[in-house]
Amino acid sequence: MVRCAMVCFHPTELHVLLSGSQDGTVKLFDLRKKESASTFHGRSESVRDVQFNPHSVIRDYYFSFASTHENGNVLLWDLRRPDKAERFFTAHSGPVFCCDFHPDDKSWLATAGRDKAIKVWEVVPYKQIQEVHCVQTIASVGRIKWRPQRRYHIASCSLLVDFSINIWDIRRPYIPFAAFEEHRDVTTGITWRQDPHIFLSCSKDCTVYQHVFRDAKRPADHANPMGLCFNVRGDISFAASEALGGGARGKGGSGMYASTRLPSFFRKNPDPTEQFRSVNSNLSVFTNRNQENPTAMDWFVKTAENYCLTGRPLSELCEHNAQVARQLGRHQIVQTWLMLKLIFAGLGAVSDKGVVTSPSLGRIVSLSTTGGQGDLLDRLSQHNETSTVTDMQEAKSAEPTGITKEKDPSEPGDAEPKSALPQPPATDNPAHADLTHVHGDFFFGDGEGGGGYNDYDSLPNMDHIQDWTLPGEAFQPRHEIIDRNPSPEELDRPDSPTSINESETVSLSNEKFLKGTVLTPTPTNPSFLDVRLLSPLVVDMLHHYAQQGDVQMTVSVMIVLGDHLKDQIEEQIQEHWLMSYVDMLGCFKLWMVATEIVKLSYLIGVPSVGTLNQNSTSIHSNCNHCSKPLTQKGWLCTRCQKLVNTCSVCHHVVKGLYVWCQGCSHGGHIHHIQEWLRTNQQCPAGCGHCCQYT
Amino acid sequence: MFVARSISAEHKDLIHDVSYDFHGRRMATCSSDQTIKVWDLTDDGEWQCTASWKTHSGSVWKVTWAHPEFGQVLASCSFDRTAAVWEEVVGESLASTQRGQSHWVKRANLVDSRTSVTDVKFGPKHMGLQLATCSADGVVRIYEAPDVMNLSQWSLQHEINTKLSCSCLSWNPSRLHLPMLAVGSDDTNPSAGGKVQIYEYNDNIRKWQKVETLMAITDAVHHISFAPNLGRSYHLLAIATKDVRIITLRCLRKEPNAGANPGGMSKFEIRQAAQFDEHSSQVWRVSWNITGTVLASSGDDGCVRLWKANYLDNWKCISVLRGDGSVTNAGGSSTGGNQLGLTNTGGNFGGSRGFKQGGSGQSSMWY
Repeated sequence: MVRCAMVCFHPTELHVLLSGSQDGTVKLFDLRKKESASTFHGRSESVRDVQFNPHSVIRDYYFSFASTHENGNVLLWDLRRPDKAERFFTAHSGPVFCCDFHPDDKSWLATAGRDKAIKVWEVVPYKQIQEVHCVQTIASVGRIKWRPQRRYHIASCSLLVDFSINIWDIRRPYIPFAAFEEHRDVTTGITWRQDPHIFLSCSKDCTVYQHVFRDAKRPADHANPMGLCFNVRGDISFAASEALGGGARGKGGSGMYASTRLPSFFRKNPDPTEQFRSVNSNLSVFTNRNQENPTAMDWFVKTAENYCLTGRPLSELCEHNAQVARQLGRHQIVQTWLMLKLIFAGLGAVSDKGVVTSPSLGRIVSLSTTGGQGDLLDRLSQHNETSTVTDMQEAKSAEPTGITKEKDPSEPGDAEPKSALPQPPATDNPAHADLTHVHGDFFFGDGEGGGGYNDYDSLPNMDHIQDWTLPGEAFQPRHEIIDRNPSPEELDRPDSPTSINESETVSLSNEKFLKGTVLTPTPTNPSFLDVRLLSPLVVDMLHHYAQQGDVQMTVSVMIVLGDHLKDQIEEQIQEHWLMSYVDMLGCFKLWMVATEIVKLSYLIGVPSVGTLNQNSTSIHSNCNHCSKPLTQKGWLCTRCQKLVNTCSVCHHVVKGLYVWCQGCSHGGHIHHIQEWLRTNQQCPAGCGHCCQYT
Repeated sequence: MFVARSISAEHKDLIHDVSYDFHGRRMATCSSDQTIKVWDLTDDGEWQCTASWKTHSGSVWKVTWAHPEFGQVLASCSFDRTAAVWEEVVGESLASTQRGQSHWVKRANLVDSRTSVTDVKFGPKHMGLQLATCSADGVVRIYEAPDVMNLSQWSLQHEINTKLSCSCLSWNPSRLHLPMLAVGSDDTNPSAGGKVQIYEYNDNIRKWQKVETLMAITDAVHHISFAPNLGRSYHLLAIATKDVRIITLRCLRKEPNAGANPGGMSKFEIRQAAQFDEHSSQVWRVSWNITGTVLASSGDDGCVRLWKANYLDNWKCISVLRGDGSVTNAGGSSTGGNQLGLTNTGGNFGGSRGFKQGGSGQSSMWY
């Protein structure tokens, strides 16, 4: 006794029954007789499905049926010829679990199997059988049934894993047109009720459902129709369905599907449900290399490459970095560097020595401040058109003025700072006026408390994106400075700066400012300025820059200032900043800068980052003579007592950069190897290895 | 000015995701046609498809790159209920590399899900090689490769049941804070509660715990993304739902490490920084730039809109990019006026005249 896999009634002859069995035979029964009418030997493996051709009203198809087999074959039979199948073809790799003749298109036969595919075959007499459609599902397909009155729709359910019933549009073979997910176990059978909107299904969960198409889930509607991604350089990659505006340049893809095989009566009567749009996406990349664009990152690379963070006096570092920032048109950064220089380099010298003795230092201070004033002038007069060029010119033109003023110390006006604020005349004592400006910013930032540095905030908006910068607001802080900082005038009276040299004026005005704001009563020591009072502000500033996404500035300042900020920032946060910056540098492949930052972070007391350079830096190699793994340090192989770093091309010992192939351990001078590989693929040592240098 | 370049992707169905690698010079696309394509930027600035292969037996929803430290590794997830890890193999066949084609090998197939896997994301690099997936039945799974050299071994570390059909997830990239995941749900029933859940890893009990549910978001969420944190004290989370939302999460606990608060859960102050309905329909994608200062969003209107905060922390549209490559600046025309009404919280603008002037000035900048 062998298990019968499938039975099937003849579509028109009520008493004719076909059965397929696991022994590989198909038997035809006439229900009026006890014995089987005929047996079909397919010489194939066990039968999985048998189906009569439903077009039995047509004489040609009256006798035809199909059987599907375990070995992937599909056999087409004529009832009158039980000894041999009319045609056969291999439809699937693996068992074919089911087949279904198309109810309208007489040439179409759908098959499905364990290989998770549903295939539609065109079976035309005397022509080769062709696969016309293929649907890849996610699980082996147990049953398929064409949807009545919908030429391209077929329902499927799977044998395993997937409990849902999917209706596919075979023209879109990737996403089910509709899905019914009521069953809680594997669905075992589907049948349509002559109506394209209603079908029945049964399942191993012991239920039979009657589904109505209204309840269907439409997976395609939930599928994400677009992709969007930023890259590190600020390019945007965007993929969108042609139907969603992405299709302005649609290349004919959005047109209606027009099948040439469509019978003419179908074409005359376009059923709205038969309409089909082929679905495609357009992929485009938006690039932007404009400096003003906030997403472009060129400034980051240039800044990282050009900043100087160590190896020179603090003031020079600040000056250099300010210059770098100025060249990139980042005025806020320029100001910050200049202020840092004033706070930590200029005043540090003052507080150390009491009176500045080095004229060069004084000169640097006034130079920088004139530069700064150039910025400020520029901004005050034409705040909407901050351009690098005018700025640079202004700074340059102001520089000589600053020097001459420095040589003429008899002219510093007492009341000028105040009048200079709204409209600073270019002939003013630059150093004096500017210092008030600069510190006014600080003062205001402090006074604002949680509001942050409004002045800082407004600057980048003017520099990079000149939008929403409202003149009224931009000016507001400056007016407040005047209202709230009367100190320069008052304090100028007791110690007139005419008596001391220019450099002292610098320190004095700072000191005055400090008295006015922080209220530190140190009148006895006018040249004293405690950097410690300002450094919390600097720390705040670092946080601010980090907040704004400019961790580069934060880290650079942190490293340049080094010990000045010692113990003022939690090491964890420092580490976070440093690592973020190192990561970002990695994004741009700025390995050299990243290594330098890592090295410097050891110096500023963040050893957890500093030790990164020591991680995974050893490379294990083999001797290039005897292939013994080199375990010791040094360049001598312990087995063959030879130096291992000889060049395979020139046979000299390589000093300096040594490249070698990790596959065969042979290598040498980089230019020799490069030259060799230009004409050869194999190793120069003659070992026969196809060396790969990545 | 943005220059749009169209790439003939030749996917046979919808593209569901594009993803740049760490350096921005490689790009992966995945599509319903069950393939992934990898694109490399050539020296002359063209995108060249260097690999295209069938990955799943269903729509591939997402594709994502691992940190290059772990090699050239991709992860994908699919309607076929699996997630897969792929690695590029170099040097095995010289012929294929000479044709400019690279070869990708499936290293792992993660088959734990019973339903469609809707998102897959590698964890931040400092956490090692971790992979989070979420599926339509509401389960978030976190896998780890204990040996980063062996990509074929992934152990399922955690399973979080969110009880809502998940559509997207995002790792918090901050190394300063505890591991954190945000999970979005595309459940369309508004009464099912908040659709974005925040999970945090608790070191003490070694479990992921739900710390917040964003109750304000009741519509289906299609995509969420944490902004890169380069030293910000709070987290920025962008959400694509029926509009674009930007949420700030500020940890209320002072001590950032868990030791100060053993076993307890972090508390967050959650504020909505912005909400934009300029897409006027479903928003499908959000993406941050590397500094976390500019947000790009795309919606059913077929546009990409860029958002940036100004100095008052008001988020504004700074650019509109259309799929056909045209660029519209935000300042001009009707959208500008719209924004004025919507997001002007600063007040005191000195009348709209000033604003419009600013807007037109900006338009010249943007073109």
